[in-house]
Amino acid sequence: MSNKAMMHVLPVEAYTSQEWFDREQLKIFSRTWRFAGFREDIADPGDSITVQAGLNNIFIIKGRDHRLRAFHNICRHRGTQLLRAAGKAQKVLTCPYHDWTYDLEGKLISVPDEDPEFPNLDKSCYGLKPAKVDIWRSMIFVHPDPDAGSIMEWFGDIEPFLGPHNVDELIEYPEARGSYEINANWKVVVENYIDVYHLSHLHSGTLNMYDHAKAEYQFVGPHFAFWEPLAADYLENIERNAAMPLVLPKDKLGAWVPMLFPGLGLGESESDWSIFHITPLGPELSRVETRTRVKDTSAWEFQKQQWRSSRFFEKSITGKYAGDKNSDDPMTSGDFTAEDIYACEQQQKSLRSPYFEVGPSAEAGEKPVREHQQIVKTYLDS
Amino acid sequence: MSSEFYPLRISEICNELVSSDDDQIANAKTFLFDVPESLQHLFTWRAGQHITVQLRIGDATVRRAYSISMSPLANRDVDTENPTFSITVKRVADGMVSNYLLDNMKTGDTIEIMPPFGDFCLDPQLNSRRSHYFFAAGSGITPLFAMLQSVLIAEPHSVVYLLYGNSDVNNVIFQQQLFALAEQYSQRLVIRHIFSRPSVWASDYWRKGRVDSKSTQAFINEHPPYAQDAQYYICGPDAMNASVTNGLLAIDVPRARIHQESYGTVSPLDDSVVSVAAKLTVTLHGSRHEVTVSKNQTLLAAMKAANIKPPFSCQSGICGACKAQLTQGTTHMVSHAALQDNDVAEGKVLTCQALATASYIELIYP
Repeated sequence: MSNKAMMHVLPVEAYTSQEWFDREQLKIFSRTWRFAGFREDIADPGDSITVQAGLNNIFIIKGRDHRLRAFHNICRHRGTQLLRAAGKAQKVLTCPYHDWTYDLEGKLISVPDEDPEFPNLDKSCYGLKPAKVDIWRSMIFVHPDPDAGSIMEWFGDIEPFLGPHNVDELIEYPEARGSYEINANWKVVVENYIDVYHLSHLHSGTLNMYDHAKAEYQFVGPHFAFWEPLAADYLENIERNAAMPLVLPKDKLGAWVPMLFPGLGLGESESDWSIFHITPLGPELSRVETRTRVKDTSAWEFQKQQWRSSRFFEKSITGKYAGDKNSDDPMTSGDFTAEDIYACEQQQKSLRSPYFEVGPSAEAGEKPVREHQQIVKTYLDS
Repeated sequence: MSSEFYPLRISEICNELVSSDDDQIANAKTFLFDVPESLQHLFTWRAGQHITVQLRIGDATVRRAYSISMSPLANRDVDTENPTFSITVKRVADGMVSNYLLDNMKTGDTIEIMPPFGDFCLDPQLNSRRSHYFFAAGSGITPLFAMLQSVLIAEPHSVVYLLYGNSDVNNVIFQQQLFALAEQYSQRLVIRHIFSRPSVWASDYWRKGRVDSKSTQAFINEHPPYAQDAQYYICGPDAMNASVTNGLLAIDVPRARIHQESYGTVSPLDDSVVSVAAKLTVTLHGSRHEVTVSKNQTLLAAMKAANIKPPFSCQSGICGACKAQLTQGTTHMVSHAALQDNDVAEGKVLTCQALATASYIELIYP
C-alpha cells in the first residue's frame, strides 16, 4: 500500500519515491540555472569544469578571450562524453573515442579519415550543442537551454533582498570548504534551511549571535529571502565578538540567509559569505557542498580576531543539550550544521512509516516550508 | 529614413578641447541642436547612429557625417522632455568642414541636417547582462560615448570596458564626463587611457602606445568579461579597426560579436580596377529607371545626372546612406568602409563608390 499521507502541500511520496525524483530531475533541475562553482574555479584560458544539471552533463571552458563557453558534454558522433571532471585544453577539444575535434566555439573542425569514411559530411551541422553560462555574485551558473533568458531574469528580483556584500572582493577560505551527504530528500534539507520556527529551538545554543524574533522573510518568485539583525549583546562589542574580520561596515550589519531555487542557500553574514549547495543524489540522499569567502586580509588578522572573539563564543555558544562538545552527539556538539543534519535525517527516517502524519504547520515561521512545496508542485505540474 | 535636409538651430556650444598654446582656440566642440516639435519624429536616434550636415562653404556644397555624441537617454530638454541631440567635432588639420564648424558657427545659427541613420548601434536591453567592450581612438569616441551612456543608464546588469587612445591627455574628448561616469558607476565601468605621446609628467594613463591588437589583448587579460555575453565595438581609423579586430579574432572572439565603424583616416582607395560604360536599371521607391553610366563614373553620379534622386550622404563610402542591392552585373567599389565583408558577399553596393565592371547592371534600393 502506498502512503498517501501529505506533507502539507506535497504528498509524502514526493520525499521518498524514485518516480518523483526523476520528474524533479527533468522538470526542475534540467530547466533552471545550476550553480557550477566560484568565478576563480575557471581561472585561465583553456581551463574547464563539468557539472551535472539535472539530466544534462555540461562543460564550461574559458577561451583565450577570457569568455566562458558552455556546451553539452556530448560528442556529436556517438555521444561520448568529451571532457572529464576538470581539465585544461588550449584551442581544441578532442573526443577520446574517434578523435573528432571541435574548436572552442563548438564547431566541428576535424574528423579522422573524413574523405573515405564520411564523403559528404557537412561538418557545420555537427557542432557541439551549446548551453548558457554566466557569472553572478562571483558564482558561475549554467543553464541547459542556450536560449534561456538572461541570468538576471532569474535572479534580478531577489537581488535587492540580498546582503550588501561585495562578493568579488572577498576570497575563499579553503579550510571551510566541505562536502557531505545527508540521508534525506533534498526538499527536507531545503525546508530545514527556510524553517524560521526552528531557529530558536533546534539551535537554541548555537545561533545566539542573531535576533530571530526580528527576522524578516518572504518568497520573491521561486527564491526565499531572509534577513535578521545581530543580537544586542553580540552587536554591542562586535569588533571584539565577531569570529572573523568584519566584511560589512558597522551600519550595515546583519545576516542574510536566502535560499535560491532550487537548493542553493547563501549565508551572508557580518564576517563571512558562504554557499550551501544541495544536490539531490537519490530520493532519500542529498549532497551538500559548502564554500566560504572571507575578508581579504592576513592570516595574522584572522588569528587575532579568533582570540578576541573566543570569550564571547565560549560563553554564548553551547550544545542544545548539556554534554561533551567533542562527543559524536550532534545535540551536544555546539555545531549548528550538525544539529541541522541530525534533524533532517531524523525526519526522513519517519517518512516510510505507515503511521507517519504531519501535524499543524506554524502560521508564520513555517509558512516558507509550505510555499516551497507549492513552488515545487507548480514546476512538476508544468 | 528621411534623406531630406532640415535646418536646425544650434542651441548651445561647449568647448571639449582647447589648444595647448592658446586656450581661446577650441580644437573640439560639442554642438547641441533644437529640434522643433514637428520634426521630433524624424530626429529620434539609436545610440551609435550619425547625422549628415550640409554646409555651403564658399561656392561649394559639402556634406559630412558626424556621430551623435549623446545617448538618446542621456540628455532631455527640461521643458519638452524630448532628447536633445548633439554632435562633437574635432579639428582636422586642413579639414574644410571641421575648421568651418569650429571657427564660424555660433549659438543660434542654423545648419542643414539629415536625420539620424546607421547600423552601428547599441540598443540597451533592461534585462540583458552583457559585457560591452569599447575601443576608441580620438574622435572615434563619439558614437561609443553615446553607446556607453545608454548601457549605464538603461542596461543596469551590464558592464562597460573602455579602451581609449589619444596622443596625450590634452586630446581626450569627454575626459570630464568619463571621469564623472566612472565615479558614478564604479562597479560597472572600467576606463583605460592609452597615450601615444604622453607628456613626461603625465601619470594618469594605462600605457603608452596605441589602441592595437597587442593593447587590446592586454586590456582583456587585465579586465576579463564579468558578464559572459561579451560584445566588442571598435571606432577609429581603419588601421586601428583592423588591428583591434585581428587582435580579437586571434584570441577566438567570434566575428559576430565584433562591431565596428570607420572614423577619421580611411583606408587607401582601391583604384586598381578598370571600369566600363554600362546600362543601369535601377528600382527606387518602386519605380524603374534606365540610366547610362560612363566609364569611371560612379553609379550614384550617373543616377544624379539622370535626375533620379537616390539617397546618399557622405559620398566617401563611410556612412552607408547610399547602399543598394545589386541584382545583376558586377561593380567595383573604390572604398567600402560602411560595409562588412558579408554585406559585400551578399551584393550590397555603396553607389557613391561603385563603378561598373559589366555592361549591364541592375540595382534595387531597399
